[in-house]
Amino acid sequence: MNYLLPERLDRLAREYALGTLSPRARRRFDRVLQQSPAAMLAIGIWQRRLAQLSTAMPPMQPRESVWRTLEQRLFAGAPAPAVPPSRSSAWGWLGTLLSGRSLGGALAGVLLCVLVLRLQPGLADLEPQRDGLPPSYVGLLLDGAGKPAVLASSRRHGKQLTVKLLQPLAVPAGSVAQLWALPQDGGAPFPVGVVPTQGKAATLALADSSEKLFFKVSQLAVSVEPAAAKPGDKPSGAFVLQGHCVKLW
Amino acid sequence: MATTTNEDLARLLARVALHDRAAFEQLYRATCSHLLSVAFRISGQQERAEEVLQEAFMNVWHNAAGFNASVATPMTWLINIVRNKAIDQLRSGKTERATTGALDDAAMAIAGDASFEPQRLLEDNLVKLRIDGCMAALGASQRQALALAYYRGMVHTEIAESLGAPLGTVKAWVRRGLDKLKGCLEAAGVTAA
Repeated sequence: MNYLLPERLDRLAREYALGTLSPRARRRFDRVLQQSPAAMLAIGIWQRRLAQLSTAMPPMQPRESVWRTLEQRLFAGAPAPAVPPSRSSAWGWLGTLLSGRSLGGALAGVLLCVLVLRLQPGLADLEPQRDGLPPSYVGLLLDGAGKPAVLASSRRHGKQLTVKLLQPLAVPAGSVAQLWALPQDGGAPFPVGVVPTQGKAATLALADSSEKLFFKVSQLAVSVEPAAAKPGDKPSGAFVLQGHCVKLW
Repeated sequence: MATTTNEDLARLLARVALHDRAAFEQLYRATCSHLLSVAFRISGQQERAEEVLQEAFMNVWHNAAGFNASVATPMTWLINIVRNKAIDQLRSGKTERATTGALDDAAMAIAGDASFEPQRLLEDNLVKLRIDGCMAALGASQRQALALAYYRGMVHTEIAESLGAPLGTVKAWVRRGLDKLKGCLEAAGVTAA
């Protein structure tokens, strides 16, 4: 069944957002969601509408134990969140490689990404394994010393950007690491999202498809900002990370 | 909640994305009583609703970087996480009860307070959104079906049973309810919570 015919998609999206899909249909649509930006978008629209119906709610105070348990589950004995064990070995290997030699230029970086992604397709949340990589935009941001610091990748028609920290990113408390896209024609940089500073991959929601956002973008960069930048904002200071953004097809 | 604006929440979320624990606690404190209320409508039990709230905030901690201010307001984003968790809990609880055969009436018990009733909640929200006049074009049954689906997390068959109406009719009521909601929100220029 083709879930993506516009009318069917809207019907499924509204029922998914409302919650009236049967558990089986819900799980099935969950899988569709992971592969379809159009489905994500359709659901987002209905979720925004329906969330309006939760504007006026009589408040209910949770017991204090809820917060304490939450704190324990998230932070107990761990000053920093651990990298999932299944992935740590692969990144340990990459870390060794990266610290062992200095890689010059974006091309070497991109080749490395291709290698890593081929070995570990799950790292970039790529869909069912196949021989060729899906058409994607890939950026490798280097620090001032020319060392790879952040790997950013997004499917060509996707609306999500996967960001991976390749080395710790130090940002003062209360500030954020803002990711910018720099158009090749020298136009003003526009904000893409906030890069997390912990050693985990994160998925950023994009304002539009990668193809629309990055088609004319040649570089990605990160600056430290007091808060997440909004459309139209300009970087307030120098870029701490920068690198080429290339099309992978 | 009343004293924290969406801008404040967006700033807190940006800091949570950087794994700032103090910001995480502030975000929790500012939104938990509203979000527990959202979860409670569906879970029907304080303890189960608190489980939902906890799971939702686990999710918030790990996925705050996925929040995009140009797509949704912080409250909309948070409400959706909570509703999804609550609906998942409700559905998996049903499956469990169905397979073990142990019906748990207490799990569906709702406090007697009228302000918790789905129809009353729907009316209160429509008034607050100033679309109560527009939505009045819907029949009472259509509004009731929409309220049971949204605030109780009921599926069509449950709504049909609850209202004593045929399944096909209930599906049409819910569909018309949603169409009308879409039209009224657009007419009122309401874009985000």
